[in-house]
Amino acid sequence: MPSLDIAGLIAKVAMGDRAALASLYSAVSPKLFAICLRILKDRTDAEDALQDVFVKIWQRADRYAATGVNPNGWLAAIARNQAIDMIRARRPSADTIGEEGLEIADSSPDPEAVSIGLGEGRRIDRCMGELPPERADAVRNAYVEGLSYQELAERYNVPLNTMRTWLRRSLLKLKECLER
Amino acid sequence: MTEIDDSDRDRSRDEVLAAEYAVGVLSFADRKRLEARIEREPAFALLVAQWEDRLSPLELPAEEAPPHSVYPKIEARLFGSSASAGARRGGWWHSVAIWRGVAFASMAAVVVLAALQQGPFGAKPLPAPAPLVAAMKGEGSPLALLASYDPASGRLAITPVAADAEAPRSLELWLVPGGDAAPVALGVLPQDGRGVIDIAPAHRANLSEGITLAVSVEPPGGSPTGLPTGPVIAAGEAHHP
Repeated sequence: MPSLDIAGLIAKVAMGDRAALASLYSAVSPKLFAICLRILKDRTDAEDALQDVFVKIWQRADRYAATGVNPNGWLAAIARNQAIDMIRARRPSADTIGEEGLEIADSSPDPEAVSIGLGEGRRIDRCMGELPPERADAVRNAYVEGLSYQELAERYNVPLNTMRTWLRRSLLKLKECLER
Repeated sequence: MTEIDDSDRDRSRDEVLAAEYAVGVLSFADRKRLEARIEREPAFALLVAQWEDRLSPLELPAEEAPPHSVYPKIEARLFGSSASAGARRGGWWHSVAIWRGVAFASMAAVVVLAALQQGPFGAKPLPAPAPLVAAMKGEGSPLALLASYDPASGRLAITPVAADAEAPRSLELWLVPGGDAAPVALGVLPQDGRGVIDIAPAHRANLSEGITLAVSVEPPGGSPTGLPTGPVIAAGEAHHP
């Protein structure tokens, strides 16, 4: 279903339209279920997560219009965040936000001035290609599998702080490249 | 200059935190802390939304149909176990769908008691008193005012909504700079009863003496073109009193 139709359904859901919620569910639940399943790696957990995801979509649909972002990305983010919160709650980690890499200045223009258009996404492949391969790989695995810093550090066999620096620098470079 | 440096540093830090949240690498405690910020800081919420959007092309195209049993559970949580009972809505606002089907022939106020108020998860009816709500509309007017009175707080919230029995519409606020400059969309009028729009920082400098604010009727969610497409139903110049 095209993005504009999905955005229209979200707008109707924001106005309390139950039929629109059912249509939205038919259109996007296979995609959102796949996201939950990939991160949670358990069907029952993924079904529970999917319920929470649609409860949140119903509750937050009125905020969607203010973001101006791609509706599919907005929906996918709700699913990822739900699944990641569930898996993090289950595997607690003592890890807290560190300072590594935070000193790097973000040289890009004011974020408010930057608008993100629909369909600009493919450029991310080129920008990922500008990162050192191992770091691009870490960003991709973190995103796709929902890995924590700790899990990434173990997988790439580097100290946690090194992984933080890698990822933070990579993300800022990615943003800089996407806005070029 | 120190102030600017500090604000640059904060912005840079928030940018990184928003990115880390969106990628999903943070611990549970850190995620909960940032989710609290997303709830109360629109600027930070926007940074996160932009990162989520930026990274979303990394998502794999995989699809997997969930079992048929899931959607009825969602409906039960949101609308109560008998999802067909129209009165058993999640919140007072959502019963607006009922009003959309009502044709108002003349100036009318319809009072609806939202019976059987359900909690957000629909498990148990909340003991809180039901709000009293009224839709106020004039004949032929595209604008209706929705009043919701909360007996617990003694507070009555008024929300402007686009009244159209045929199709749902949104009301969008515009800044008209004057001269040949195009109107700038400031946002869809919020329907949460708070009546507050957060103006994007990029537009704040433009809100000054002499500009015109206008409201138009638009498709749900706002104008698809970035310019007003529906009738302008209200407009006025802004001045310092």
